[in-house]
Amino acid sequence: MYTLAVNSPLSAEFTALLPRIETLVVVLFFALFAMSFDFISGYTGYLSFGHAAFYGTGAYLVVLAANGKLPLLGPETPFMLLLVIAGVAAAVVALLIGSVSFRLSGVYFAMITLGFSQVLYVFIRDWDFVGSAPRNGVAVTGTTEGFRIGIPGVESLSVAIGQLTGDSIEGLFGFISLSATEVSFYAIGAVVLVCYLLLQRLVHSPFGRVLIAIRENEERARAIGYNTYVYKLSAFVMSGFFAGVAGALFAGFRRSVTPENGFYFLVAGDALLASILGGFGTLAGPLYGRLFDQGAREFLSKEGGGGGLLPYLRANLGEGTLSTELFNGVTVSEAIDTFLNGHAALFVGVLFVLFVLYVPNGVLGTLRMRYGGVLAKAIPRRVQQWWRS
Amino acid sequence: MFIDALVEFLSPGNVVDVLVRGLAEAGLYVMIASGLTLVFGLMGVLNFAHGSITMIGAYLGGLVLVTLAAGGTTVTGLLGFAVAIVVAFGVLAALGAGIETQLVRRIYDRPPLYQILLTFGVALVLDELARIVILFYGLQPSTVWQAVLGTKPTVLRESVDIFGASIGGLELFQILFGVLTVAGVHLFLTQTRYGLFIRAGSEDSEMLSALGVDVRRVFTVVFALGTGIAGAAGVLLAWDPAWGASVPLAAETLLPAFVVVIVGGLGTFRGTVVAALLVGFVDSTMTWWFQNHINFTGLPEMMVFLVLVVMLIVKPQGLYGVSEVGGH
Repeated sequence: MYTLAVNSPLSAEFTALLPRIETLVVVLFFALFAMSFDFISGYTGYLSFGHAAFYGTGAYLVVLAANGKLPLLGPETPFMLLLVIAGVAAAVVALLIGSVSFRLSGVYFAMITLGFSQVLYVFIRDWDFVGSAPRNGVAVTGTTEGFRIGIPGVESLSVAIGQLTGDSIEGLFGFISLSATEVSFYAIGAVVLVCYLLLQRLVHSPFGRVLIAIRENEERARAIGYNTYVYKLSAFVMSGFFAGVAGALFAGFRRSVTPENGFYFLVAGDALLASILGGFGTLAGPLYGRLFDQGAREFLSKEGGGGGLLPYLRANLGEGTLSTELFNGVTVSEAIDTFLNGHAALFVGVLFVLFVLYVPNGVLGTLRMRYGGVLAKAIPRRVQQWWRS
Repeated sequence: MFIDALVEFLSPGNVVDVLVRGLAEAGLYVMIASGLTLVFGLMGVLNFAHGSITMIGAYLGGLVLVTLAAGGTTVTGLLGFAVAIVVAFGVLAALGAGIETQLVRRIYDRPPLYQILLTFGVALVLDELARIVILFYGLQPSTVWQAVLGTKPTVLRESVDIFGASIGGLELFQILFGVLTVAGVHLFLTQTRYGLFIRAGSEDSEMLSALGVDVRRVFTVVFALGTGIAGAAGVLLAWDPAWGASVPLAAETLLPAFVVVIVGGLGTFRGTVVAALLVGFVDSTMTWWFQNHINFTGLPEMMVFLVLVVMLIVKPQGLYGVSEVGGH
């Protein structure tokens, strides 16, 4: 699809607009993290501001295992097993944090989870067991092979992921050829899809209904007879599990992790951003939210190798326009550099504020309210009605 | 070995040293946190943009200092500092009033979650705007603005000996400002008419408006006051080499401010002062241990967050908090 669009007559526009495949991989695993965040925060109403702790746990576990730092988990541990172990480890962390945190609610819950995650962040940042310069993060040095995703034990049904270490596929079924990053995209996408379906199953189970009941009116849920503490805590542990898996996918693809992109509280902030934009309390929403966020970031950055607004403007605005002075000797080209280059966070932030004020349900939530149900069902129904009339 | 270290720690000179450092830290913390606690106490809004306001205050104050006191003599330095404090307080109080009337006011009736979300978004926008402006003037946003540190007068660079401990002038300066802030806010709360409104509104704002007070205006004033104090704190931080003016300062001050506010009990000013002292002493003590005996760089920072976690587990409403506040 991407290749097709880029080679079309509007190629300049398409390369500027469409995110690159690398970006889409990032969107996938981060969206899983944002979904896990939304699963606890959007469905139970408990804002887990320290959610980065679980993401970081998963990511560090993979890198440390690959570097042979962990007992029993050598560098040759299969990645599929590592994914599960990373999830379980994060779930255990979630159990420990959650069992004390759920005695609190409201602002205090957000703060205690934030406190826990920052303690972990500082600890990992300065713990020299992790690597020789823990502040700068660690990279996978124990193995040069890519982490393999697929059916465990069947070599031919699994592929390696990573930008440099991944497998590329030539001529599958005679006509499908995929680059290493594209293979990673599908492989990671498959894992994310499975996790999404599992989360979806949980949300629509009676268990998920109780979570929503807790969000709407916890006292009433308790009065009906539900032990809300147990429900909240188990939801938190499940959420931690999937956040750990997301972190493990992230580390598996990037092959390195730093305290800043693993454990820092702003990582959870990004998940919050994705959830609000896409739809708080809708499981698929965070995926779209993150897609938008990441897409905007790339669209407005100079480095966007595939494209982005800046190279497009540079190539397509005339030299005269670019060197026109706006005020005080600032040219258009300088203004573009100043306000657009890498400053997507500004525009995403403004949009975020507007969403909180005017579209509190997010894109997906609002659409669902408007069409009265899940889009996949509501749209065909609409089309049918329109067809008949 | 541990006993030896403890004896060394408890030597008189060292105790004075740690105490004074702790007081200086407490002075900074109380300045960072008191605005946050005033706003929460009255309106129940936990302002995530508070750190960004402090960061902007540091840059604004730095700008004034670099313009007025670039020479670096003591008199111009201190005068410039006074001007910088006034400018930062004024501008950021106005910004705070703007944020309150235009944005925060719309969501008082929504669950507290949305107020966190909104102010978090405001923080993102402010940080990014600051980054754009700073980059535009050719400064590096992620490292400390060195030119401001250069305007610090020599008086504050020297240190005096008290009981065998050398106390930096800057630390005394920070203690002075901490005391001034506490005294100022205390007098404002207890001696002025608005202070009375604020204390009454913290108890029951509906009752206050029923008595004919324009609560909306009181909210705006308190929000402006809170952001103004945060801005002034930023100016003070711009001279401290351990903090300095940089964009990451926003998160670096926001998190300790949360710790202080929550440990003290959300919304109580007295609790915030006590918690600032507590956190300040924990910080200075742990800094000593890290510098002398325990080889772990993050020790003070980690301990500060542990204070938060332990306090929330042991006494969730904080030192002086009331259990109904903040949705327990």
